Amino acid sequence: MTATAVPDDIAPDERGPSRSVWAEFRRGLAAMAPILLGVAPFALVLGSQAAMKGLSPLEVALMCGLNFAGGSEFVAIELWRSPPQIALIAGMTLLVNCRHLLMGASFAPHLRRLRPWQAALVLFVMADETWALGMDDARRRMAATGRPGISLPYYAGLAVSLYVAWVAVTVLGAVVGPVLGNPHAYGFDMAFTAVFLVLIRGMWRGWRRALPWPASLGVAALTHLVVPGAWYVPAGTLAGLAVAYFVASTETAEAAP
Amino acid sequence: MSDFARYVALDVPSLLAILSMMAVTYATRVTGYLVLRKRALSPRATAVLEAVPGAVLISVIAPAFTTTNPADLLGLAVTLAMACRFSMLPTVIVGVAATALLRHLL
Repeated sequence: MTATAVPDDIAPDERGPSRSVWAEFRRGLAAMAPILLGVAPFALVLGSQAAMKGLSPLEVALMCGLNFAGGSEFVAIELWRSPPQIALIAGMTLLVNCRHLLMGASFAPHLRRLRPWQAALVLFVMADETWALGMDDARRRMAATGRPGISLPYYAGLAVSLYVAWVAVTVLGAVVGPVLGNPHAYGFDMAFTAVFLVLIRGMWRGWRRALPWPASLGVAALTHLVVPGAWYVPAGTLAGLAVAYFVASTETAEAAP
Repeated sequence: MSDFARYVALDVPSLLAILSMMAVTYATRVTGYLVLRKRALSPRATAVLEAVPGAVLISVIAPAFTTTNPADLLGLAVTLAMACRFSMLPTVIVGVAATALLRHLL
């Protein structure tokens, strides 16, 4: 089996020979590599901003390692005072991360066969990038095998790669201070857009299934222009799901006799 | 204070703020899963749930589409065109390089 082949022979709860597990793990590391190119500059900036707000490298490591959700960490550092306002920071963290509710719900069918502690760990490292690549892979496996389920070693490769890079590079940023300045001055912020656009293209299932997309894009963009803060993510997501609900309703109406 | 002591400094209010972030974030991560773990969904609910990944990803990158900076718009157009045809790595490299170049030139 090559590193890039679709692993249709490994069920998530049946460990294959250790060679396949290792190959799957490395496939996960490789899949995350291009994303790290976009993540690293932001991690450096986050670390250096945190240092300017008075956080020690250990505190940066704890925040990034225990919370592990970059968007909410940028917001927390932005709001950080000494001493920090805990209720404000927890509330903004909830707002920025409430998309995880829907991400976890859509992940659930693929985690059913895992043991509880495995699912608990998988969810602990569920970030936009690990979830998006994990879902993409689970969807391909389902097309090949007809069964839901993630490849646990592949997902572990994704998660270890992103987790180590995120914590290590933010700490590096906290230690070396503001060296990069603004990553938007280069082109690194476009890496996220590029990664997500490729993933979205992979979800193409015809026009009907894509109808929620312009709704999400339009509402999220408008909300971003009009409302400060991170509200654009829940607003855009719910707009897309509302369209998906109506599309699904018309389908059931057509299917009815 | 020595460098080492500065690196590992940890005060209680900061630790509490970090732990509260962890608790809130982990709750958002497990709640959706716990609610849907043992439930059989109607076809309509399944269709809505299948639309979640696209809706979330598009919403997260939507701010990129609101720019009025010509360099950013052209960079976005190049990235979009690449994403329609090519795989992850070439799309990221060309998207980042084209955007950096355009911001430098325009």
